[in-house]
Amino acid sequence: MLVAIFFAIILFITIIQASIPFLLKKTIAFGVTIPEGHSGDKNLANYKKIYSSIIVILGLVGLLIFTLRGLNEHLGEEQIGVMGLIIQLVLLISSMVLYLYFHIQTTKRKREMKWGENLKMVRVADLTRQSNDEMLPSIIFALPVVVTIGLIAYTAIHYPAMPDQIPTHWGPSGQPDAFTEKSPFSVIALLLILLVTQGMMVAFNVFTKKSGVKLNAARRNSSRIQQMSFRKYTSWFMFLTSLLMTILIGFLQLTTIHGDIGGPFLMLAAPLGFLVILLLATAIYAFKVGQGGSRIQPEIEEEAITGVTDSDDDVYWKAGVFYVNKNDPSIFVEKRFGIGWTMNFGNPIGYLIIFVPVLIIIAISFSL
Amino acid sequence: MFIQIEPTSEIPIYTQLVNQLMELIATGTMKPSDSLPSVRSLASDLGVNMHTVNKAYHELERKNIIQIIPKSGAVVNIIPSTGPNELQIEYIKQMVKPLIAESIVYGMDKDQISSIVNSIITEISEG
Repeated sequence: MLVAIFFAIILFITIIQASIPFLLKKTIAFGVTIPEGHSGDKNLANYKKIYSSIIVILGLVGLLIFTLRGLNEHLGEEQIGVMGLIIQLVLLISSMVLYLYFHIQTTKRKREMKWGENLKMVRVADLTRQSNDEMLPSIIFALPVVVTIGLIAYTAIHYPAMPDQIPTHWGPSGQPDAFTEKSPFSVIALLLILLVTQGMMVAFNVFTKKSGVKLNAARRNSSRIQQMSFRKYTSWFMFLTSLLMTILIGFLQLTTIHGDIGGPFLMLAAPLGFLVILLLATAIYAFKVGQGGSRIQPEIEEEAITGVTDSDDDVYWKAGVFYVNKNDPSIFVEKRFGIGWTMNFGNPIGYLIIFVPVLIIIAISFSL
Repeated sequence: MFIQIEPTSEIPIYTQLVNQLMELIATGTMKPSDSLPSVRSLASDLGVNMHTVNKAYHELERKNIIQIIPKSGAVVNIIPSTGPNELQIEYIKQMVKPLIAESIVYGMDKDQISSIVNSIITEISEG
């Protein structure tokens, strides 16, 4: 079972990592702005192909090693887990190294070929976009918070009847395998972690709603449609994640209070179902929406405006992935290599939203 | 309804914003009582400092073209049916004078200058 779960996750990471160059906007390759008219460059296409091929090969080798060792040798669950994590880590680090190599190559090519030197560099904004934003209202993200507070109250009521040992970790079979002493803090620790995460999601939605819409200067109408869809579906995806987490942790909390309410089958099915739905949703989101909505085909046909290209903000993108721009009031911006949002490191509020919750979660975990 | 700025241009960004917004109002694309995007939203869309957008909005307010209502944002004013006041006429004269002088220095005659002015008016009124 554990082998199968890790197999699925490693396979998933391989597919997503290998697909990333093809899920991005055509105007950005390996974190470098590609001026209008050059996105079809043969060398760039080759870079993307080589990147993906190497990831696929690495992923397959990883899967082969993992399956052979996982099935043939008598490894304990912990060893299988560690091996699975190491393979995931190796895959992620190699994609980063590959990315960096092709980022440098792309930068070089752009400079040598003098792309976009005779184009006017502009930035475009749509003045009506605020009224067209279809992102979920932040109040919806607050609903799971209410559920969690309800669960904390429910736990408080049932506190006297709860067992002396409170589970803190669940094994691959879905059964708890690590415990801590019962105390008013330890019985709700899991819910507190959930609460912090949900709070982070609320803040995330509030601030991504305020983030700028970066339009393609030459294809402003179609890129506007793509951007709006990206914002909408990303907020849906974030909400689904928040909802799934609430259901899973709420379920675990109820089993802690009442014992095996759903029997061993449900204990196994709940986390698995969580994982399967989350992976499926990620895949649908990545391939249907794509970065910045690049996979969405607008119904309108738009001829590219000639003579203009997007203003080149490569200087603000350190290594093509870290955005540092003190002037831009956006706290989160679209990723350049990858899918979803990343933070503006030039804006201290972003640090607060990401790192404070993470620190609180770490503190809660270690105090158990 | 789009606006476009050139960050590398010699013209300051806030002036570019003022000019573009005025043009949108002159062509009738933006109508009286239409609201402008919030300073933060326009600044983040363009990736520029909020002060830049704020400066542009205040410049437009100073010219009586928009009105900034605290907490609810900026709205476009009605184009006065009584026409411009003396100060505005004086201001326009002052702004146009060096341009006309420059045109004459380039060797343009009265007809050429008039035809440029006319074609710009047509362009704007036809949107």
